[in-house]
Amino acid sequence: MIRRTAAIWAGKATGALSRFSRRGGGTTLPGDVARVIDSDILRKLSQDLKYGAIVITGTNGKTTTARLISWLLEGAGHRVVSNRSGANLIFGVTAAALESANASGRLSADWGVFEIDEASLPKAIDEIQPKAALVLNLFRDQLDRYGELESIAKKIEAALANLPAGSTALLNADDPRVAEIGLNLTGPPLWFGLDDTTVAERELPHAADARTCPRCGASLIFDAVYVGHDGVYHCPNGDFERPPPDITAKNIKLDGFDNVAMTMHSTKAKQDQRIALPFGGLYNAYNVLAAYTAGITLGLDPGYIARRLQNFRAAFGRQERMEFRGRHLNLVLSKNPAGFNETLRTAVDLANGHNFLIALNDRKADGTDVSWIWDVDFERLKGKARALIPAGNRAHDLAVRFKYAGVGATPPETDPGKALDALVKATPEGETAHLLCTYTAMLDLRAELVRRGWAKPYWET
Amino acid sequence: MTRRKQTFTVGWLYPDLMNIYGDRGNILTLLKRAEWRDYDARLVELGRGTTQHMEDVDVFFFGGGQDREQALVYEDLLEHKQHPLERAVQAGAAVLAVCGGYQLLGHYYQTAEGERFPGIGLIDVRTEAGKKRFIGDVVVDTQIEDITPGTLVGFENHSGRTFLGPNASALGRVRLGFGNNGSDGTEGYLQGGVLGTYLHGSLLPKNPHLADYLIRSALRRRGVDELSPLDDSVELAAHARILERAPHAAHGRHASPALLQRPSHAPLESRPRSRADAPPPDQP
Repeated sequence: MIRRTAAIWAGKATGALSRFSRRGGGTTLPGDVARVIDSDILRKLSQDLKYGAIVITGTNGKTTTARLISWLLEGAGHRVVSNRSGANLIFGVTAAALESANASGRLSADWGVFEIDEASLPKAIDEIQPKAALVLNLFRDQLDRYGELESIAKKIEAALANLPAGSTALLNADDPRVAEIGLNLTGPPLWFGLDDTTVAERELPHAADARTCPRCGASLIFDAVYVGHDGVYHCPNGDFERPPPDITAKNIKLDGFDNVAMTMHSTKAKQDQRIALPFGGLYNAYNVLAAYTAGITLGLDPGYIARRLQNFRAAFGRQERMEFRGRHLNLVLSKNPAGFNETLRTAVDLANGHNFLIALNDRKADGTDVSWIWDVDFERLKGKARALIPAGNRAHDLAVRFKYAGVGATPPETDPGKALDALVKATPEGETAHLLCTYTAMLDLRAELVRRGWAKPYWET
Repeated sequence: MTRRKQTFTVGWLYPDLMNIYGDRGNILTLLKRAEWRDYDARLVELGRGTTQHMEDVDVFFFGGGQDREQALVYEDLLEHKQHPLERAVQAGAAVLAVCGGYQLLGHYYQTAEGERFPGIGLIDVRTEAGKKRFIGDVVVDTQIEDITPGTLVGFENHSGRTFLGPNASALGRVRLGFGNNGSDGTEGYLQGGVLGTYLHGSLLPKNPHLADYLIRSALRRRGVDELSPLDDSVELAAHARILERAPHAAHGRHASPALLQRPSHAPLESRPRSRADAPPPDQP
C-alpha cells in the first residue's frame, strides 16, 4: 500500500511539473516514474474500476473510437478514466490512471476506456484484465518501428487468447487479418462490419496488405472494398470468407467532412437505429460502428447510443476546424497509406476540396521510413488541387511524389510557419484548405497556430 | 509521316505480394521517365502463375514482401519465372531487385536455424539471417561509372546479411547505414544492368540518375546509347536533403565499424576477400 501510494504521488508530481514547465502535456512521463516505483501499479488501479475496462487497438481510428466510447459512457452518468491525449503505450495508460487516482491512491471511477498501441496490447490485457477488447483494423504502418504486419497480428492474437473469462473480443469482420485472428480464438467474438456496397470501391488500393487466404494462400476475391483491404471478401477455394457480422452499418450517407449517417442493425436487437454524426469519412463510419458495438457490449441502450452520438465532437487533431486569416482550415491526421487514402478521398471527392497542405515528418512517432507515401494515391489530386503545399521535414520527398503523380505543387516548405503562409497565400479568402498531416507534423503546425493564437494546447481539449 | 513511338516495358514481379516498402515509387519513376522521353511506357504485372510478355520486358522490378507473402512467391519463382527471367537477362533486359527480391535472386537464404532455401542463383550472392534488424537512412557511394551524382540515398530495413561471391561486385560502399551485411562496407550487387540492393525509400524517385542507368542499360540492345536530359531539380533536392543529414548520423546510431576505419572512396578491390566470406556478425 505504501509502495502504491508512493508510486501514485511520484507520478502525479511528475505530471504537474511537466505541465508547469511547458515541456508537454505531462502525458506519459508520470507513468514511467510510477512504474519504476511499483511495476504493478496499473494492475492495482485497474482493479479499482467499478465495472471494468475496455481496450481499443488497431492501426487506424483508436483515438476517435476511444473518445466515442467515453462520450457514450459519460453521457450515461458513468465516471470514465481514459488516456484521452492518445498516449497509448503502457506508460501513457498508466499515466492516465494515475491522473485520476485520488490522494489515498484509489481510482474512483466506473469504467476505464483505453486506446492501446498494437505492440503494447499483450501487456495491457494482462494488467488491465478488461471486460472487452476491440480490434479495429490492421494496416501497414511504421514498418521501421513495428516490423511487418504479420508480427503485430501474432501479438494481438496472443493477447486476445489471454482475455479473462467473461470478456468479449469485438472484431472487425471486414478486415481479413483481424478476421483470421478471431477465427483462431476459442471463444466466439462479436463481429462488426459495413453492409452498403454503394460506398464501396471496386478495386483494392495499392497499399492493400491482407490479400491472400490464410488457409490456402490463394488471392482473396473482394466483392466490396471499403477502406484499405477492409471489405467483403472470400477465398476462391472456399477456405475462408468474411465472418457474418453480428452488428452492421447499413444505408451509409457521406457528406464530406461534415456528416456521416448510417443505420445500425444487430442480429439480436429488434429495432434498427439511425445514427448521424457531425464529422465525416467512411473511416469514421467504422469508428462509429465499433463504438456502437462496444456500447451495446458494455450494456448501454441502443436508442440512447444513437441519440448521444449526434453531438459528438472529433478527437483532437484527428479532425479539427479553425478559422485562420479568413480561410477555413480543416486539420486531419493522416499517418499511413490506408488512412491517407481515406482522408484524401473524403477531402477531394466528398468535400470537393481545392486547397491542400500536406505535411510529412519522419520523426520516431511518424515512422522514420517515408517510403509509404508511394502507396498513397495522390493521383486523386490531379485536376482537383489548385493549391498544394508540400510541408514537413520531408517536404522534398512529397514534392517528388507529387511530380510523379502529375500534380502541380508549390516548392517544398519545411518550416511550418512559412508553409502556413504559403497556404494562406494560395487559398482564396473564404475558401476551405485541407491540412493532411502525419502525427508530429500536425503537432508542429498546431504549435505554430497556437503561437499565433488560434487553437488551444492539446492537453486542454 | 508520323513516327510510331517506341515501347518501353517494365515488368513488375508479384506486384500484389511483394510491395511492402513503397515499391510502386520505383515502378512509377521508370515509367514516367520513359514517358517524358516520348516512349510508349507499359507495365506488365507478373503475378503468380503467369509468364506472359516476360520476353517483352525491358526492366524487371522485384521488391520485398512480408514473410507470409514471400513464402508464396518463392514456389512460383522457382517453378515459373526462373527460366524466362534468365533468358530475358541474357538478351539484355535490366533488373532492379530490392530487399526480399534481391535475396531471392541469389544462391540461397539461410535461416537462423541453419535451414537453406535455394534462390534462383541469377546473381552471385548469398544471404544469412542475422539477429539485429538494420533500419535507417543509407547513403552509398556508387561504383557505377559516369553517373552524376556519385551517391545513392535510401532507407534500409532488413535482418538478412548478404555476402558477395567471388564473381560479384557491389553497387557501392556505404557512407551511412549498414548495407549488405554491416561488416564489409558494401551495399548491393551490380553487374551490367542487373542490380540488387537493400535500399528502398523508394529508391529510384530520389535517385533519378540510377533510374536512367537502368533504362539506358535495357535500351542499349536496341541501339540507344544516350537518353535525352530531363529537369531533375525536384528529385535531386530531395536527394541532397538526405545527404545533408548523413554526417550527423554517421557518428551516431548506425555507422558501420568497418566504414569508420576506411575512407569511403577506397576502391572495392582493396576490400580483403576474407572479410566477405567470414560468418555474419550478430551485431554490426
